[in-house]
Amino acid sequence: MAMAAFRWKLWSCGLSRLTASRTPAARVIARPMASTGIPTDEEQSTGLERKTLQAIKKGMDPYSIFKPKEYAGTKEDPHVVPATTDKRLVGCICEEDNTAIVWFWLHSGNPQRCPSCGSHYKLEHHELPH
Amino acid sequence: MAHQAHAYHMVDPSPWPLTGATAALLMTSGLAIWFHFHSLSLLYLGLTLLLLTMIQWWRDIIREGTFQGHHTPPVQKGLRYGMILFITSEVFFFLGFFWAFYHSSLAPTPELGGCWPPTGINPLDPFEVPLLNTAVLLASGVTVTWAHHSLMEGNRKEAIQALTLTIILGFYFTALQAMEYYEAPFTIADGVYGTTFFVATGFHGLHVIIGSTFLTICLLRQIQYHFTSEHHFGFEAAAWYWHFVDVVWLFLYVSIYWWGS
Repeated sequence: MAMAAFRWKLWSCGLSRLTASRTPAARVIARPMASTGIPTDEEQSTGLERKTLQAIKKGMDPYSIFKPKEYAGTKEDPHVVPATTDKRLVGCICEEDNTAIVWFWLHSGNPQRCPSCGSHYKLEHHELPH
Repeated sequence: MAHQAHAYHMVDPSPWPLTGATAALLMTSGLAIWFHFHSLSLLYLGLTLLLLTMIQWWRDIIREGTFQGHHTPPVQKGLRYGMILFITSEVFFFLGFFWAFYHSSLAPTPELGGCWPPTGINPLDPFEVPLLNTAVLLASGVTVTWAHHSLMEGNRKEAIQALTLTIILGFYFTALQAMEYYEAPFTIADGVYGTTFFVATGFHGLHVIIGSTFLTICLLRQIQYHFTSEHHFGFEAAAWYWHFVDVVWLFLYVSIYWWGS
Protein backbone atom coordinates (compact mmCIF):
# COMPACT_ATOMS: atom_id res chain seq x y z
CA MET A 1 0.00 0.00 0.00
CA ALA A 2 2.76 2.39 0.97
CA MET A 3 4.77 1.28 -2.07
CA ALA A 4 1.86 2.09 -4.35
CA ALA A 5 1.54 5.50 -2.72
CA PHE A 6 5.28 6.12 -3.20
CA ARG A 7 5.01 5.11 -6.85
CA TRP A 8 2.12 7.46 -7.50
CA LYS A 9 3.90 10.33 -5.79
CA LEU A 10 7.04 9.84 -7.87
CA TRP A 11 4.96 9.94 -11.03
CA SER A 12 3.36 13.18 -10.04
CA CYS A 13 6.81 14.57 -9.33
CA GLY A 14 7.70 13.80 -12.93
CA LEU A 15 10.08 10.99 -12.10
CA SER A 16 8.38 8.06 -13.76
CA ARG A 17 11.77 6.55 -14.57
CA LEU A 18 12.53 6.00 -10.95
CA THR A 19 9.65 3.59 -10.44
CA ALA A 20 11.26 1.08 -12.78
CA SER A 21 14.06 0.38 -10.31
CA ARG A 22 11.93 0.26 -7.16
CA THR A 23 11.40 -3.45 -6.73
CA PRO A 24 14.43 -5.78 -6.46
CA ALA A 25 13.16 -7.80 -9.43
CA ALA A 26 13.34 -4.74 -11.70
CA ARG A 27 16.80 -3.68 -10.54
CA VAL A 28 18.11 -3.54 -14.16
CA ILE A 29 19.00 -0.04 -15.32
CA ALA A 30 16.11 0.78 -17.66
CA ARG A 31 18.33 1.37 -20.65
CA PRO A 32 19.48 -1.07 -23.37
CA MET A 33 23.20 -1.75 -23.80
CA ALA A 34 23.37 0.02 -27.16
CA SER A 35 22.32 3.39 -25.77
CA THR A 36 24.97 5.01 -23.67
CA GLY A 37 26.45 8.35 -22.86
CA ILE A 38 23.77 9.93 -20.68
CA PRO A 39 24.28 9.55 -16.94
CA THR A 40 21.52 8.45 -14.60
CA ASP A 41 20.48 10.15 -11.37
CA GLU A 42 22.13 7.24 -9.58
CA GLU A 43 25.43 8.15 -11.21
CA GLN A 44 25.25 11.92 -11.19
CA SER A 45 22.78 13.36 -8.69
CA THR A 46 24.33 15.37 -5.88
CA GLY A 47 23.49 17.36 -2.78
CA LEU A 48 20.01 17.40 -1.32
CA GLU A 49 18.54 15.89 -4.49
CA ARG A 50 20.80 12.87 -4.11
CA LYS A 51 19.90 12.53 -0.45
CA THR A 52 16.17 12.58 -1.14
CA LEU A 53 16.46 10.11 -4.04
CA GLN A 54 18.66 7.68 -2.07
CA ALA A 55 16.26 7.84 0.89
CA ILE A 56 13.26 7.18 -1.35
CA LYS A 57 15.07 4.14 -2.76
CA LYS A 58 15.35 2.79 0.79
CA GLY A 59 11.69 3.50 1.46
CA MET A 60 12.44 6.45 3.77
CA ASP A 61 11.23 10.04 3.70
CA PRO A 62 13.48 12.15 5.95
CA TYR A 63 12.52 15.39 4.22
CA SER A 64 8.75 14.86 4.45
CA ILE A 65 8.15 14.91 0.73
CA PHE A 66 5.19 12.57 0.87
CA LYS A 67 1.87 12.76 2.69
CA PRO A 68 2.13 11.41 6.24
CA LYS A 69 0.81 7.96 6.99
CA GLU A 70 -2.78 7.86 8.12
CA TYR A 71 -3.70 6.54 11.51
CA ALA A 72 -6.97 5.77 13.24
CA GLY A 73 -6.16 8.11 16.12
CA THR A 74 -7.29 5.58 18.73
CA LYS A 75 -5.38 4.55 21.86
CA GLU A 76 -4.17 1.42 20.02
CA ASP A 77 -3.33 3.25 16.81
CA PRO A 78 -2.42 6.82 17.72
CA HIS A 79 -1.40 9.45 15.17
CA VAL A 80 2.39 9.23 15.08
CA VAL A 81 3.92 12.72 14.85
CA PRO A 82 7.59 12.81 13.81
CA ALA A 83 9.71 15.53 15.46
CA THR A 84 13.34 16.56 15.63
CA THR A 85 12.95 18.14 19.08
CA ASP A 86 11.04 17.24 22.28
CA LYS A 87 7.81 18.90 21.28
CA ARG A 88 5.89 19.79 18.13
CA LEU A 89 2.78 21.83 17.39
CA VAL A 90 -0.19 19.76 16.27
CA GLY A 91 -3.25 21.21 14.54
CA CYS A 92 -6.21 18.84 14.75
CA ILE A 93 -9.02 19.24 12.22
CA CYS A 94 -11.36 17.16 14.31
CA GLU A 95 -13.96 16.61 11.66
CA GLU A 96 -13.57 17.01 7.91
CA ASP A 97 -14.25 20.59 6.70
CA ASN A 98 -13.93 22.04 10.22
CA THR A 99 -12.59 25.57 9.92
CA ALA A 100 -11.56 25.94 13.56
CA ILE A 101 -8.27 24.09 13.95
CA VAL A 102 -7.42 22.90 17.45
CA TRP A 103 -3.77 23.71 18.13
CA PHE A 104 -1.74 22.18 20.94
CA TRP A 105 1.83 21.26 21.81
CA LEU A 106 2.57 17.54 21.66
CA HIS A 107 5.37 16.56 24.07
CA SER A 108 7.58 13.51 23.97
CA GLY A 109 6.56 10.71 26.30
CA ASN A 110 3.00 9.57 26.91
CA PRO A 111 0.51 10.04 24.09
CA GLN A 112 -1.80 13.04 24.42
CA ARG A 113 -5.37 13.54 23.30
CA CYS A 114 -6.88 16.39 21.28
CA PRO A 115 -8.73 18.63 23.77
CA SER A 116 -11.66 18.82 21.39
CA CYS A 117 -12.21 15.43 19.73
CA GLY A 118 -10.03 13.20 21.90
CA SER A 119 -7.92 11.67 19.09
CA HIS A 120 -4.65 10.21 20.34
CA TYR A 121 -1.30 11.64 19.25
CA LYS A 122 2.20 10.33 20.00
CA LEU A 123 5.49 12.13 19.38
CA GLU A 124 8.16 10.05 17.62
CA HIS A 125 11.73 11.31 17.75
CA HIS A 126 13.70 11.64 14.48
CA GLU A 127 17.21 12.90 13.97
CA LEU A 128 17.55 16.11 11.98
CA PRO A 129 18.70 14.95 8.53
CA HIS A 130 22.17 16.26 7.74
CA MET B 1 25.08 22.26 3.49
CA ALA B 2 22.11 23.74 5.36
CA HIS B 3 20.50 21.59 8.05
CA GLN B 4 16.90 21.62 6.93
CA ALA B 5 14.15 19.03 7.49
CA HIS B 6 12.34 19.93 4.27
CA ALA B 7 13.11 19.34 0.60
CA TYR B 8 12.63 22.91 -0.61
CA HIS B 9 15.28 25.31 -1.84
CA MET B 10 15.86 28.40 0.29
CA VAL B 11 17.65 30.49 -2.31
CA ASP B 12 20.73 32.50 -1.34
CA PRO B 13 20.48 36.31 -1.65
CA SER B 14 20.93 37.37 -5.26
CA PRO B 15 21.39 40.73 -7.01
CA TRP B 16 19.73 39.66 -10.26
CA PRO B 17 16.12 40.58 -9.42
CA LEU B 18 17.34 44.11 -8.67
CA THR B 19 19.43 44.37 -11.85
CA GLY B 20 16.45 42.99 -13.80
CA ALA B 21 14.13 45.60 -12.36
CA THR B 22 16.71 48.29 -13.08
CA ALA B 23 16.98 47.03 -16.65
CA ALA B 24 13.18 47.25 -17.00
CA LEU B 25 13.28 50.85 -15.77
CA LEU B 26 16.12 51.77 -18.14
CA MET B 27 14.40 50.14 -21.12
CA THR B 28 11.05 51.84 -20.57
CA SER B 29 12.49 55.26 -19.87
CA GLY B 30 15.04 54.65 -22.63
CA LEU B 31 12.23 54.06 -25.09
CA ALA B 32 10.60 57.34 -24.07
CA ILE B 33 13.91 59.20 -24.37
CA TRP B 34 14.42 57.72 -27.84
CA PHE B 35 10.97 58.82 -28.94
CA HIS B 36 11.34 62.40 -27.71
CA PHE B 37 15.05 63.20 -27.71
CA HIS B 38 16.43 60.91 -30.41
CA SER B 39 19.01 59.22 -28.10
CA LEU B 40 19.40 55.45 -27.86
CA SER B 41 21.94 55.35 -25.00
CA LEU B 42 19.54 54.62 -22.15
CA LEU B 43 17.79 51.95 -24.19
CA TYR B 44 21.09 50.25 -25.04
CA LEU B 45 22.11 50.38 -21.39
CA GLY B 46 18.84 48.76 -20.39
CA LEU B 47 19.15 46.04 -23.00
CA THR B 48 22.73 45.28 -21.96
CA LEU B 49 21.74 45.07 -18.31
CA LEU B 50 18.81 42.82 -19.27
CA LEU B 51 21.09 40.46 -21.18
CA LEU B 52 23.59 40.32 -18.31
CA THR B 53 20.78 39.72 -15.81
CA MET B 54 19.33 36.83 -17.79
CA ILE B 55 22.71 35.19 -18.36
CA GLN B 56 23.77 35.39 -14.74
CA TRP B 57 20.41 34.54 -13.19
CA TRP B 58 19.89 31.44 -15.29
CA ARG B 59 23.56 30.49 -14.92
CA ASP B 60 23.03 30.59 -11.15
CA ILE B 61 19.93 28.38 -11.45
CA ILE B 62 21.96 25.83 -13.42
CA ARG B 63 24.64 25.95 -10.73
CA GLU B 64 22.06 25.48 -7.95
CA GLY B 65 20.23 22.62 -9.68
CA THR B 66 22.79 20.65 -11.63
CA PHE B 67 25.96 21.29 -9.65
CA GLN B 68 24.64 21.71 -6.11
CA GLY B 69 21.65 19.36 -6.19
CA HIS B 70 19.06 21.77 -4.82
CA HIS B 71 16.38 20.70 -7.32
CA THR B 72 14.73 17.91 -5.34
CA PRO B 73 11.46 16.40 -6.64
CA PRO B 74 9.23 18.99 -4.91
CA VAL B 75 11.42 21.83 -6.19
CA GLN B 76 11.24 20.42 -9.69
CA LYS B 77 7.46 20.20 -9.38
CA GLY B 78 7.38 23.90 -8.53
CA LEU B 79 9.52 24.70 -11.56
CA ARG B 80 7.09 22.75 -13.73
CA TYR B 81 4.13 24.73 -12.37
CA GLY B 82 6.08 27.91 -12.98
CA MET B 83 6.81 27.13 -16.60
CA ILE B 84 3.21 26.09 -17.25
CA LEU B 85 1.91 29.30 -15.72
CA PHE B 86 4.37 31.36 -17.75
CA ILE B 87 3.37 29.68 -21.01
CA THR B 88 -0.29 30.21 -20.08
CA SER B 89 0.39 33.91 -19.65
CA GLU B 90 1.99 33.95 -23.11
CA VAL B 91 -1.09 32.26 -24.54
CA PHE B 92 -3.18 35.14 -23.22
CA PHE B 93 -0.68 37.59 -24.70
CA PHE B 94 -1.23 36.13 -28.15
CA LEU B 95 -4.97 35.85 -27.60
CA GLY B 96 -5.05 39.64 -27.47
CA PHE B 97 -3.52 39.95 -30.92
CA PHE B 98 -5.83 37.33 -32.36
CA TRP B 99 -8.74 39.26 -30.86
CA ALA B 100 -7.52 42.40 -32.59
CA PHE B 101 -7.17 40.56 -35.90
CA TYR B 102 -10.64 39.04 -35.77
CA HIS B 103 -12.19 42.28 -34.56
CA SER B 104 -10.98 44.07 -37.68
CA SER B 105 -11.32 41.25 -40.19
CA LEU B 106 -14.74 39.84 -39.34
CA ALA B 107 -16.48 43.19 -39.89
CA PRO B 108 -14.25 45.19 -42.25
CA THR B 109 -15.11 48.90 -42.25
CA PRO B 110 -16.05 50.99 -45.30
CA GLU B 111 -12.59 52.62 -45.15
CA LEU B 112 -11.12 49.22 -46.04
CA GLY B 113 -13.63 48.72 -48.84
CA GLY B 114 -15.91 46.59 -46.70
CA CYS B 115 -13.86 43.50 -47.50
CA TRP B 116 -10.99 41.46 -46.13
CA PRO B 117 -8.24 41.52 -47.26
CA PRO B 118 -8.79 45.26 -47.59
CA THR B 119 -8.82 46.89 -50.99
CA GLY B 120 -5.32 47.34 -52.35
CA ILE B 121 -3.74 44.66 -50.15
CA ASN B 122 -2.17 41.69 -51.93
CA PRO B 123 -1.79 39.06 -49.23
CA LEU B 124 0.95 36.43 -49.31
CA ASP B 125 -0.01 33.15 -50.93
CA PRO B 126 -0.62 30.78 -48.00
CA PHE B 127 0.46 27.80 -50.07
CA GLU B 128 3.93 29.09 -50.77
CA VAL B 129 6.53 30.00 -48.10
CA PRO B 130 3.97 30.09 -45.25
CA LEU B 131 3.09 26.46 -45.94
CA LEU B 132 6.79 25.54 -45.98
CA ASN B 133 7.16 27.35 -42.66
CA THR B 134 4.32 25.28 -41.26
CA ALA B 135 6.03 22.07 -42.35
CA VAL B 136 9.34 23.26 -40.90
CA LEU B 137 7.85 23.96 -37.47
CA LEU B 138 5.85 20.75 -37.41
CA ALA B 139 9.00 18.81 -38.28
CA SER B 140 10.87 20.59 -35.51
CA GLY B 141 8.16 19.44 -33.11
CA VAL B 142 8.88 15.88 -34.16
CA THR B 143 12.64 16.28 -33.79
CA VAL B 144 12.38 17.81 -30.32
CA THR B 145 10.21 14.87 -29.24
CA TRP B 146 12.80 12.52 -30.73
CA ALA B 147 15.45 14.32 -28.71
CA HIS B 148 13.41 13.91 -25.53
CA HIS B 149 12.96 10.19 -26.03
CA SER B 150 16.66 9.79 -26.81
CA LEU B 151 17.42 11.63 -23.59
CA MET B 152 15.13 9.40 -21.54
CA GLU B 153 16.59 6.28 -23.13
CA GLY B 154 20.14 7.38 -22.36
CA ASN B 155 21.17 7.79 -25.98
CA ARG B 156 23.62 10.71 -25.99
CA LYS B 157 24.49 10.73 -29.69
CA GLU B 158 20.88 10.75 -30.89
CA ALA B 159 19.81 13.29 -28.29
CA ILE B 160 22.46 15.69 -29.55
CA GLN B 161 21.61 15.00 -33.19
CA ALA B 162 17.86 15.47 -32.73
CA LEU B 163 18.29 18.63 -30.67
CA THR B 164 20.70 20.08 -33.24
CA LEU B 165 18.25 19.29 -36.03
CA THR B 166 15.47 21.01 -34.07
CA ILE B 167 17.58 24.14 -33.73
CA ILE B 168 18.53 24.10 -37.41
CA LEU B 169 14.85 23.90 -38.34
CA GLY B 170 14.14 26.80 -36.01
CA PHE B 171 16.79 28.92 -37.70
CA TYR B 172 15.47 27.87 -41.10
CA PHE B 173 12.00 29.13 -40.11
CA THR B 174 13.45 32.42 -38.92
CA ALA B 175 15.48 32.85 -42.12
CA LEU B 176 12.47 32.10 -44.33
CA GLN B 177 10.26 34.46 -42.35
CA ALA B 178 12.88 37.22 -42.50
CA MET B 179 13.00 36.82 -46.28
CA GLU B 180 9.18 36.95 -46.43
CA TYR B 181 9.20 40.16 -44.38
CA TYR B 182 11.73 41.71 -46.74
CA GLU B 183 9.87 40.67 -49.88
CA ALA B 184 6.30 41.38 -48.69
CA PRO B 185 4.33 43.81 -50.88
CA PHE B 186 2.77 45.45 -47.81
CA THR B 187 4.20 47.01 -44.65
CA ILE B 188 3.17 47.44 -41.01
CA ALA B 189 1.93 50.92 -41.95
CA ASP B 190 -0.55 49.57 -44.51
CA GLY B 191 -3.72 49.98 -42.50
CA VAL B 192 -5.08 47.57 -39.98
CA TYR B 193 -4.14 44.62 -42.22
CA GLY B 194 -0.46 45.50 -42.03
CA THR B 195 -0.67 46.21 -38.32
CA THR B 196 -2.35 42.98 -37.33
CA PHE B 197 -0.18 40.93 -39.70
CA PHE B 198 3.20 42.23 -38.62
CA VAL B 199 2.48 42.63 -34.91
CA ALA B 200 1.08 39.11 -34.56
CA THR B 201 3.65 37.36 -36.78
CA GLY B 202 6.39 39.64 -35.47
CA PHE B 203 5.83 38.69 -31.85
CA HIS B 204 5.62 35.08 -32.95
CA GLY B 205 8.97 35.40 -34.70
CA LEU B 206 10.47 36.89 -31.54
CA HIS B 207 9.20 33.87 -29.61
CA VAL B 208 10.75 31.55 -32.19
CA ILE B 209 14.09 33.28 -31.60
CA ILE B 210 13.65 33.00 -27.83
CA GLY B 211 12.72 29.32 -28.16
CA SER B 212 15.68 28.62 -30.43
CA THR B 213 17.99 30.29 -27.93
CA PHE B 214 16.54 28.20 -25.08
CA LEU B 215 17.03 25.02 -27.13
CA THR B 216 20.60 26.04 -27.98
CA ILE B 217 21.40 26.46 -24.28
CA CYS B 218 19.94 22.97 -23.74
CA LEU B 219 22.16 21.59 -26.50
CA LEU B 220 25.26 23.09 -24.88
CA ARG B 221 24.21 21.67 -21.51
CA GLN B 222 23.50 18.24 -22.99
CA ILE B 223 26.94 18.21 -24.61
CA GLN B 224 28.42 19.00 -21.22
CA TYR B 225 26.57 16.13 -19.51
CA HIS B 226 24.27 18.29 -17.36
CA PHE B 227 21.17 16.19 -18.02
CA THR B 228 20.46 12.74 -16.64
CA SER B 229 18.03 10.30 -18.20
CA GLU B 230 15.55 10.99 -15.41
CA HIS B 231 16.18 14.63 -14.52
CA HIS B 232 16.32 17.11 -17.40
CA PHE B 233 13.67 19.66 -16.63
CA GLY B 234 15.49 22.50 -18.41
CA PHE B 235 15.14 20.53 -21.61
CA GLU B 236 11.48 19.72 -20.93
CA ALA B 237 10.72 23.39 -20.31
CA ALA B 238 12.41 24.30 -23.62
CA ALA B 239 10.44 21.59 -25.42
CA TRP B 240 7.14 22.80 -23.92
CA TYR B 241 7.95 26.34 -25.00
CA TRP B 242 8.85 25.14 -28.47
CA HIS B 243 5.56 23.24 -28.84
CA PHE B 244 3.72 26.37 -27.69
CA VAL B 245 5.50 28.41 -30.39
CA ASP B 246 4.52 25.77 -32.94
CA VAL B 247 0.85 25.86 -31.89
CA VAL B 248 0.76 29.66 -32.07
CA TRP B 249 2.10 29.46 -35.61
CA LEU B 250 -0.63 26.98 -36.57
CA PHE B 251 -3.27 29.42 -35.34
CA LEU B 252 -1.52 32.29 -37.14
CA TYR B 253 -1.31 30.30 -40.34
CA VAL B 254 -4.95 29.24 -40.33
CA SER B 255 -6.33 32.63 -39.21
CA ILE B 256 -4.15 35.29 -40.81
CA TYR B 257 -2.44 33.58 -43.72
CA TRP B 258 -5.17 31.25 -44.92
CA TRP B 259 -8.60 32.50 -43.80
CA GLY B 260 -7.38 36.09 -43.90
CA SER B 261 -6.40 35.91 -47.54
